[in-house]
Amino acid sequence: MSDTVLELASVSKHFPIRSLRSYGKAVHAMDDVSFSLARGESLALVGESGSGKTTTASVIARIYEKSSGSLSFGGEEARPFRNRAEALGHKKNVQMIFQDPFGSLNPTHTIREILERPFLIHGLAKGRAELEERLVAILEQVGLSPAAEYLRRYPHELSGGQRQRVNIARTFAVEPGIVLADEPTSMLDVSIRMGIMNMMLALKESRGVSYLYITHDLAGARYMCSRIAVMYAGMIMEIGPTEEVISKTCHPYVELLKEASPSPESGFARKRTPAKGEIPSLIDPPAGCRFHPRCPKAKAACSAAIPAMRDLGNGHLVRCVLYD
Amino acid sequence: MDDGIMLELNELRAGYDTAKGFVRAVDGVSFSLKRGEFLGIAGESGCGKSTLAYAIMRLLRDNARIESGSVRFKGVDLAAASAEEMNKRRWTDMAMVFQSAMNALNPVLSVGEQLTDAVHAHRHVSEGEAKAMAVEMLRLVDINPDRLKSFPHQLSGGMKQRVMIAMALILKPDLLIMDEPTTALDVVVQRSIIEKIADLRADLGFSVIFITHDLSLLVEISDKLAIMYAGKVCEYGPAKELFSAPSHPYTRGLMASFPSLTGPITRMGGIEGRAPDLLSPPPGCRFAPRCPEAFEGCDREEPGLRPCGKEHFSACRLIGGAK
Repeated sequence: MSDTVLELASVSKHFPIRSLRSYGKAVHAMDDVSFSLARGESLALVGESGSGKTTTASVIARIYEKSSGSLSFGGEEARPFRNRAEALGHKKNVQMIFQDPFGSLNPTHTIREILERPFLIHGLAKGRAELEERLVAILEQVGLSPAAEYLRRYPHELSGGQRQRVNIARTFAVEPGIVLADEPTSMLDVSIRMGIMNMMLALKESRGVSYLYITHDLAGARYMCSRIAVMYAGMIMEIGPTEEVISKTCHPYVELLKEASPSPESGFARKRTPAKGEIPSLIDPPAGCRFHPRCPKAKAACSAAIPAMRDLGNGHLVRCVLYD
Repeated sequence: MDDGIMLELNELRAGYDTAKGFVRAVDGVSFSLKRGEFLGIAGESGCGKSTLAYAIMRLLRDNARIESGSVRFKGVDLAAASAEEMNKRRWTDMAMVFQSAMNALNPVLSVGEQLTDAVHAHRHVSEGEAKAMAVEMLRLVDINPDRLKSFPHQLSGGMKQRVMIAMALILKPDLLIMDEPTTALDVVVQRSIIEKIADLRADLGFSVIFITHDLSLLVEISDKLAIMYAGKVCEYGPAKELFSAPSHPYTRGLMASFPSLTGPITRMGGIEGRAPDLLSPPPGCRFAPRCPEAFEGCDREEPGLRPCGKEHFSACRLIGGAK
């Protein structure tokens, strides 16, 4: 299918532990993750810390190589890079926006030096004049104008929101097909988050890129994306169209996540959240469903085997024995 | 003065001496807190909300000081109290839960030692009695008392934060100040901590000042809300009313800054621009440069808090018909 820009089929990533005490064991950071992303589509990957969201993005960006499963871009299976050109080609196609706008820009470089690099590395501008033109264009697209003024500055002279805009400009400089946005607004002040989110939506429209939008905020995911996948302890628990996942929630974990989210509208007389406990160890994950130790609806079958993903139709899948 | 009032701030000014001058991070803040009341203080980074908390506790750093104003706590002005007086008051009468539980616990002392330390510092009790108090507190925050022997690195983030809450409440203070207690935690853990605080408050009857940038959370859990911007309180009132009828344009902007899980998805604006530099704050209303509703005179005339409802105040010239 030519319209699918990214496809993961049963992708797992295990990190071996090298300490003496746990020798031979591995951290199961990502297990049996399958989803696809169409051109121009945005999928939100929602989960708590340690649920494997960032590992998933890193595997797609090929910062880590997957342990097993199949990963393909535009219908082509990802193979080990044979040369620098292949690696560069992948990096041009798949770009990442990082969470920390303070740590992801080199403090000793000016914004000009930071933004020039993608153009120079990928040979995207011919000559000084074109480079200059494109630098100005990209800065103006992310709302930093007058561009000439920002190009002279250093990262420490910018606010968090402006730095994140520079990050996004750097991401879009190479005209990627897939943008992996790893909690791009979680370290910013509340009042400027919406500005960044709206700008990202506008860029998606004008550039036709696909987003994998990683977040812990279900409401933010709803605002940004047409589909949502919820991860827990390295596995996708529920995936489907945004409104279905949020208003016809199937998985007890997603229900819990929804209940726990702050919601002023329903807040004043809210019912109490049932589940206690925390995310399990990924070194010895619980047998069967990884959520069963915390699940209010758990039964004997839950600890027997890892439930398969059940297809509920309309692209809505859930990993829970309640739907067998 | 109403008898139920436990804490009353009057025109409190506090800030930091820096090489470039005095940064007045808290500029003329006044409010009162009744016994058992839950006050939420919301604001963005740099608005002075943490400085305010540290000023009330008199825990400001060496380069910071209270410039003027008073903090009356149960009839005593803490801003003028001696260091010994404060040492006695802190933790017995008023306690604080700090922002990052990860770093607030001593890594080389066990949970039990840290909890009993707080007891021994203020009460002449035997080792056994102190331990019994620690066990009771851990039970209250849903941690197995076996954990007394654990060290902080053996606990998860949520458990550490619960230990911090147990430590803050061990001497049954009347006032608990919480500075972003759940910011570093996941939503599900955050929810369980919030519910725990609500239960404990119902049992023990202490007042809470809860500071966070997460307004959506605050609206849900607070009785009263104070919105801070650039060192000043710009709106103060009952939480429900602030949510349903925000009066200050900054509050309105903040309310339009978090998407909702229900209802239609509408494009939301957030707020353009950035907070001012407190070394040289803008004249007039400090929010005027970013305010979509600013009009003639907002950049000159500084609005004080004006009543705009029952126990509801807003520092905006739109109130009272200046326009």
